[in-house]
Amino acid sequence: MSPQPNGHRPVNRFAADDSDVIVVIGSGAGGGTLATELCERGAKVVLIEAGKHHQPEDFINDEWASLNQLAWLDERTTSGSWRIAEEFPNLPAWTCKAVGGTTVHWAGCCPRFKEWEFRIRSEHGPIDGASLLDWPIGLSDLEPYYDKAEDRLGVTRTNGIPAPPSNNNFKVMGSGAKRVGYAGVSTGRMAFNTVPRDGRPATVQDGFNYQGDKQRAHWSTLTAEIPKAAKTGRLDLRPESMAIRIQHDESGKVTGVVYVDAEGNEQRQKARVVCVACNAIETARLLLNSASPLFPDGLANSSGQVGRNYMRHVTGAVFATFDKPVRMYRGETMAGIVTDESRNDPGRGFVGGYYLQLHSLGPSFLATFLSPRAWGRDFAEIMEQYDHMAGMLLVGEDLPQENNRVTLNRDAHDQFGQPVPNVHFDDHRNDAAMREHAYAAGESVYAAVDALRTFRVPPYPASHNLGTARMSARPEDGVVNEFGRAHDVPNLFVSDGSVMTTGAAANPTLTIVALALRQADHLEQQLKAGAL
Amino acid sequence: MYPHDALPDDVYARVSERLAEAAREESGTARMIEDGVSALNGGRPFAELPADEQFETLKGIDGSEFFELVRSTAVVEVYSDRRTWQLVGYEGPSFDKGGYVKRGFNDLDWLPDPEAAS
Repeated sequence: MSPQPNGHRPVNRFAADDSDVIVVIGSGAGGGTLATELCERGAKVVLIEAGKHHQPEDFINDEWASLNQLAWLDERTTSGSWRIAEEFPNLPAWTCKAVGGTTVHWAGCCPRFKEWEFRIRSEHGPIDGASLLDWPIGLSDLEPYYDKAEDRLGVTRTNGIPAPPSNNNFKVMGSGAKRVGYAGVSTGRMAFNTVPRDGRPATVQDGFNYQGDKQRAHWSTLTAEIPKAAKTGRLDLRPESMAIRIQHDESGKVTGVVYVDAEGNEQRQKARVVCVACNAIETARLLLNSASPLFPDGLANSSGQVGRNYMRHVTGAVFATFDKPVRMYRGETMAGIVTDESRNDPGRGFVGGYYLQLHSLGPSFLATFLSPRAWGRDFAEIMEQYDHMAGMLLVGEDLPQENNRVTLNRDAHDQFGQPVPNVHFDDHRNDAAMREHAYAAGESVYAAVDALRTFRVPPYPASHNLGTARMSARPEDGVVNEFGRAHDVPNLFVSDGSVMTTGAAANPTLTIVALALRQADHLEQQLKAGAL
Repeated sequence: MYPHDALPDDVYARVSERLAEAAREESGTARMIEDGVSALNGGRPFAELPADEQFETLKGIDGSEFFELVRSTAVVEVYSDRRTWQLVGYEGPSFDKGGYVKRGFNDLDWLPDPEAAS
């Protein structure tokens, strides 16, 4: 990108032919954290981001307007037996296209993975239809990085940070959960400030967690990481820059990234190392779109695993109406959790665990998602109960499957002329059994506090997108090694949730950050050793 | 499609305005709407039918491209209108008012605080 005559766009800090820089593609939980960490350790970083650089004061507290401001709405297609392919065929995922990536609309739920969730192939043995594999690392490898990540994100109930107070919606879910005998009931470990910390204020309980946090009480790479990277003088942030291809030399090492800038001009940035953190769908797409004579099936894809094993968590929601007001929209959207069902107990009819988490929507989104495509007087009457409604989200582990997969749809091209990603997904029967169990559990929680009616809400477009460049001990089983380093390409790294070998029940952001911090250690050590 | 008797007609007028806008932007959409509307008025004009007959008529075309265009437009317009928010008891944005921290984020009093109870 060259300096613009009108002066609105900053001049690039590093030259396009500076082959000493590390290029990070994507500024979300993985890429934004990694870029900041590398800058703080003295590296020169070019951070390429497809989305715009919004500031929190520009965020919109109106659900559809905000979606149009922040969401990744570039064309995508879907296939498979999942309901999304029928109900939201061009919106398989609800992620952000903005500086800060999907951390911008993240509610902040921070459970850690459990020890057994890193080795579910060993724990369960083979399961028909599932491409299970143990992670090449275990909880003990990640624990020091979880500690660092929790401090960095300011997670409540860690590092002496006070617990979030109970809001109205939590009083309903939490009371019901206690009455049915659940013990792991709390306002949770959350990445928003309950007291001022790290230069950001305590929450004023203004809701709208999924629309970007206007007051900066929530951790995001936009507000809590990238400004620190900028202070080092070693960050070159390039928003509105869509990476379309990663280039390599004859030896198979990557040499740079081709992207389209805000003016629609194709640019090339040379690089010593490239780190891909575009969220699972776009990460797979970029690797596949970078196919070359040397890598005919896509970059770093000798295993054939790029794009496969796409996971999105078993999700769903339960809403309930009551004869007294709830006002679920007041306060922090997800500050509440029930952990009892996150254990592994195949006696329930499925393997793996799930969480019940606090959740609310405004009327605009609720009307679309409560019962997709419903209409009529009955539906309108339900909507009139809005202020008497409580809500929860179900989040559990789904099993990786070889054919749940991101591929290139060569019949459709985006605004940059690139084939769009197609996302194919079928529920595994384990996923379906878990969802049924979770719906029933959610209903029993609300029944225990005298719900008038409960509603089973089908999965939304996914915010947790995982597994399309998975870690493996052996190169033939996956795309990257335990540090996120491509098995096939020594100076190519994947730095987002794509690397997850299996997805656990936990919301992935904390683990993505922990993995990025571990990767930063590895990168620094390799750079010092002259190995990159 | 989303009948709330207490809402003024203006709220529903948003839907036809948005559809007219979509029709101006794309001739295919304009044709789809014209064809859909004339099919609806094939017998007695749709607007003159009693509510239950209107409902039955709409059920007959549920799932058609025209129906889905109107429904998906209506669900967004009707439930994003501040008058609808007021009707269903939604206060909306609070950032400019200091959030809900001092305005009832935890004022539910018909259940105990699960964090306090043991």
